[in-house]
Amino acid sequence: MEIYLPIAGMSINFFLILGVGGLVGFLSGLFGVGGGFLLTPLMMMIGIPPAVAAASDSNQIVAAASSGAFAHWRLGNVDFKMGLIILAGGITGGTIGVQFVKVLRAMGNFEFVMKVVYVLMLGLVGGAMFIESWRTIRRSRRAGAEAVAETSTGGGGLTRLFNKLPLKMHFHRSGLHTSAIFPFAIGTTVGIMAALLGVGGGFIMVPAMIYIIGMPTIAAIGTDLFQIVLTSANVTLQQAIVNHTVDLLLALILLGGSSIGAQFGAVAGKRLKGEQIRILLAIIVLALTVKLFLDLVLTPSDLVSLAPAKGGGH
Amino acid sequence: MKRLVILCLACSLVCCWAASAPAVTEGQQKVITAASKNLVEIGLSYSGDKIFFFGVNPAPGSDVVIRLTAEKEETVKLSVKGKVGPFWMTVKQYEVTGSPFIYKIHTNKPLSQIISPETAKELELGYDAVRHKMKMHLVRGEAAPEDEGIVWQGLLKIKEQANLYNIVEDPKRLEIAEGQLFKHYFRFPPTATEGRYQVESFCFHKGELVGYGKDIIEIKKIGLENWLTQTSQNSPVFFGIMAVVIALGTGLLVGVIFGKGGHH
Repeated sequence: MEIYLPIAGMSINFFLILGVGGLVGFLSGLFGVGGGFLLTPLMMMIGIPPAVAAASDSNQIVAAASSGAFAHWRLGNVDFKMGLIILAGGITGGTIGVQFVKVLRAMGNFEFVMKVVYVLMLGLVGGAMFIESWRTIRRSRRAGAEAVAETSTGGGGLTRLFNKLPLKMHFHRSGLHTSAIFPFAIGTTVGIMAALLGVGGGFIMVPAMIYIIGMPTIAAIGTDLFQIVLTSANVTLQQAIVNHTVDLLLALILLGGSSIGAQFGAVAGKRLKGEQIRILLAIIVLALTVKLFLDLVLTPSDLVSLAPAKGGGH
Repeated sequence: MKRLVILCLACSLVCCWAASAPAVTEGQQKVITAASKNLVEIGLSYSGDKIFFFGVNPAPGSDVVIRLTAEKEETVKLSVKGKVGPFWMTVKQYEVTGSPFIYKIHTNKPLSQIISPETAKELELGYDAVRHKMKMHLVRGEAAPEDEGIVWQGLLKIKEQANLYNIVEDPKRLEIAEGQLFKHYFRFPPTATEGRYQVESFCFHKGELVGYGKDIIEIKKIGLENWLTQTSQNSPVFFGIMAVVIALGTGLLVGVIFGKGGHH
């Protein structure tokens, strides 16, 4: 069944998009991470123009994150003060990022920059995750049933350093008294990436909040989801205004697929151990990194390509 | 007075000459044609369309050349990749003007056997004529002498892969019944966007143009497709807000349906 995507300006199989959404939803349900960083590259592989893929992905993230954010809000897991500061950074970053996209598209190197950033980021995250979960598996084998003690004070040095920065504030929900500069800066960085790559950024934000800012894990996840909804909403709006690249139809089909996939993923996730899940995710991430890296260094089959016309679309 | 008359005569002569300059004039007979439809609507399930064309050859036994083009020409920007260190990235860009958005030719035998290269160039029939007509200029990077060929071949490949350019010289594809009634079809690929397209029929007898006819096909988006495209272009702020609100609403709804929906 073919469906015509009005903004992407192409006809594509409905079930292929639903399937890609479903696969990413399954993985995100299984691993408990946002699927944005997998979704954009996959959409590019099935032929969606990169800029439309990233923008529509942001739109899809708004929907996907909102249900989780709502649930965490009701459980009282959202640190609104922290969330708003990160959000201020996120909005700043997102707005800058969208302008970046505009300039890069005009130069014809949007896809190149996007892939370079992806390779660096996925390589880093995938590599770190692989090493960490591999160690855990080996350790747990050696220690048998003995539980592995978690390093609760990770990044202690950094936490202390950021404590010395000015603009100190008290964050009641997280039980912290720390500087507002770092949350704002990380918000800005992730906001730029959200626009450039069409990702929510949870996989960078959550570790940063836990290990560097020092927030409790559950508050970090709740607060992250809260700010993702609003940051992605801003990116979607900006992309629609500046680049005209949000394909609402595409986003809704992806959402349909990912919501269903996530339910199955969550069930499957209960049958696997945490470190097994993480090493699986690391392998997927690293495979994707290799694929994107090869795209950058292998001689392309077509040296000449169409640059997007002014105003996006066709 | 005498000079004025001469001037007038000269003027009218120039006018006559100018009017006869394009090869397609009233000199030829009109080829009567018909299309299976003249309006293509892009709806939700649009995946291209196939339109049949029929025509009557004014001079029985003459050769037929059919050309499909878009009414307005397009300006495209092409990125040329080059190696920078170990990476392949865009190193220069060309703006190409005067190239048709879509260009398809059907003939009942090889074009070179029907008309001379001069006639082909004059009537803009065949890839050589297209290449001759388009202009390219560098917008970024450094020009190289071989670029012209690379850009042309690149554009041709992109267009052929998208099924926007092709030339079919096959009597089976363009059937001429008893030398008079010809029929064929054009496939409009899904990439063929909104706009007016023209299908021109040229009849040649011993290399001379003896008949010409034209059909107009219009492609337009309808319903939801049209509304989404128009809104995203004309009211982007409203479109953006709508996209966000719909996403929020759907997300919360999905959360309610599937229970607490903790994923993101």
